[in-house]
Amino acid sequence: MEAAEPNGFLNVDRLLESSLPRPRVNLLWIMGGSFLLLMFFSAVVSRTAPGPARDAVGLLSGLLFIGTLIGVSAFSFHAVRQLRAEQQRVAEIGEMIQLRRWQEAAMALETYLSQPARTMALRIQALVYLAPVLVRLERSPDAIAVQDYLIDSDMVDAGGIAAMRIGRAVAMLNEDHLFDADRAISELRRGPAGGSAALALVELYRDVKTGHPAEAIELFERKLPELRDQLGQRVADAYALAARAYDLLGREPEARTAFRNATLLAPWGELYRRYPDVKKLADRFQPAPAPPEAA
Amino acid sequence: MLAVDATISRVRRDITLGTLLKALLTAAAVGCLVVAQTENVRIVVLLGIGALWFWLSLNGARTSRAAAESPSLIAAGQFEEAERNIEQTVRTFSMIRGVKLQALHHLALLRHAQRRWQESAVLARALLGQRLGTLQPLSKSTRLLLADSLLEMNDLGGTYEALNALSRERLALPEVLNLMAIQLDYSARVGAWSWMVQNVMSKVHLTELLPSASNARAQAFLALAAQKVGRADLSEWLRSRAELLTDVQRLVTERPLLRELWPASEPTVSGT
Repeated sequence: MEAAEPNGFLNVDRLLESSLPRPRVNLLWIMGGSFLLLMFFSAVVSRTAPGPARDAVGLLSGLLFIGTLIGVSAFSFHAVRQLRAEQQRVAEIGEMIQLRRWQEAAMALETYLSQPARTMALRIQALVYLAPVLVRLERSPDAIAVQDYLIDSDMVDAGGIAAMRIGRAVAMLNEDHLFDADRAISELRRGPAGGSAALALVELYRDVKTGHPAEAIELFERKLPELRDQLGQRVADAYALAARAYDLLGREPEARTAFRNATLLAPWGELYRRYPDVKKLADRFQPAPAPPEAA
Repeated sequence: MLAVDATISRVRRDITLGTLLKALLTAAAVGCLVVAQTENVRIVVLLGIGALWFWLSLNGARTSRAAAESPSLIAAGQFEEAERNIEQTVRTFSMIRGVKLQALHHLALLRHAQRRWQESAVLARALLGQRLGTLQPLSKSTRLLLADSLLEMNDLGGTYEALNALSRERLALPEVLNLMAIQLDYSARVGAWSWMVQNVMSKVHLTELLPSASNARAQAFLALAAQKVGRADLSEWLRSRAELLTDVQRLVTERPLLRELWPASEPTVSGT
């Protein structure tokens, strides 16, 4: 696993620091306060000043009233536009990740997180996106650091935290932190992710990784309908892990079928990148035949 | 349960009332600046108008926040709760036009989730008939709702119009995915097989991002198109993938057109 240099690309400590939003001066309150002060001043002057001066103050206060309204509107319009642009930027990073444009996503995150975010919510969303990018770059320890930060930050909702914990458990398994991963899985079972297909997939990975193929197969066969319905195309991962479990038990026909199903749904290279343990299967079984476009 | 026609009328009435109220308050403020004789009267009236405007806006913002929960309730399948939430938004007066329009959009979403296609289409059309202003991005998801509802009602002409309008828009990824699923369904019904297999792998990569059932359906439509244009290898590959992603029997029941792929509705790939 490659370690990040202190000032290197996607350095987690640096990005966590640099992306913190700067405290902002609330111009709206300042403008509102100034306006009230002006109104008060104008009321006092209109009571005490002689005729022409009173008229001048009246006219001035009217103009200032209109000017303040225009100023507040222009300021709000500008602020909203800037916020929308930043939201759009973060949303685009999310799309890059969904479309598996990892390099572009990594570059965009490096740029975005290198400067203070406009709001904490947008910064947190960008950090949520950073974790899978780091996993993809085979920097699981950095991904775990980001996930730990987000889980401890108390700024992600319950569903988001559960997804984060699941991602962290996978990263721990990748790093062979088996004891920590097992404890994380036990905690997940008691939380909102308990019984979900995503958690079943992590358990399947744990069982294959720790040499418990019988348990893995029992789990896979019992949970297959949920895995299929909830994971969509990623059910390929479950087939790949099940293939390895069947293979470990010497059940070759089932291993071959599961391997075929896995490679029908996902490119083989993608599967063993995610789960290095299944790489051994490639020597023994043929991937599913694919048309020229998909090869 | 909210009656669709009554809801649309109420929303239109409230939008008109809101606009009138805003015009009235603005006119009163300007009138006060011009007409008021003493500075004290002017200040009191202006502060009163400002306070009233602020209070109404605050109320609108509160309603808007409560209304924002509706989509997550619909997504979680809590339809009754969502209906109550939308009803409250519709019945509460708000000076903010967007709150009312959003309520209409949420009701269209709810009816779509309840598979009440006709009502969903009526609501979507009513919303698209309004000036959306800053809510313009809502028009894309509303048009997608409309296209899907019309397709479910087998109104192919209406679906084409809705899809055509969307082709000129810049869409976000979730909208692109939704649009592609509808386009494939529509194209299969009108037999546009050649279009369906153009850039087929780009379409396949996008379908993979859809939820399982929609993904399976889209890949099955592509398999059917490949079969129609004589690409047996591509058709077989796509059909086998669809079989691994859903229950074939359910797929064929929902879209009888796909029976051609599974004449006996028997899967050809073993799920292990």
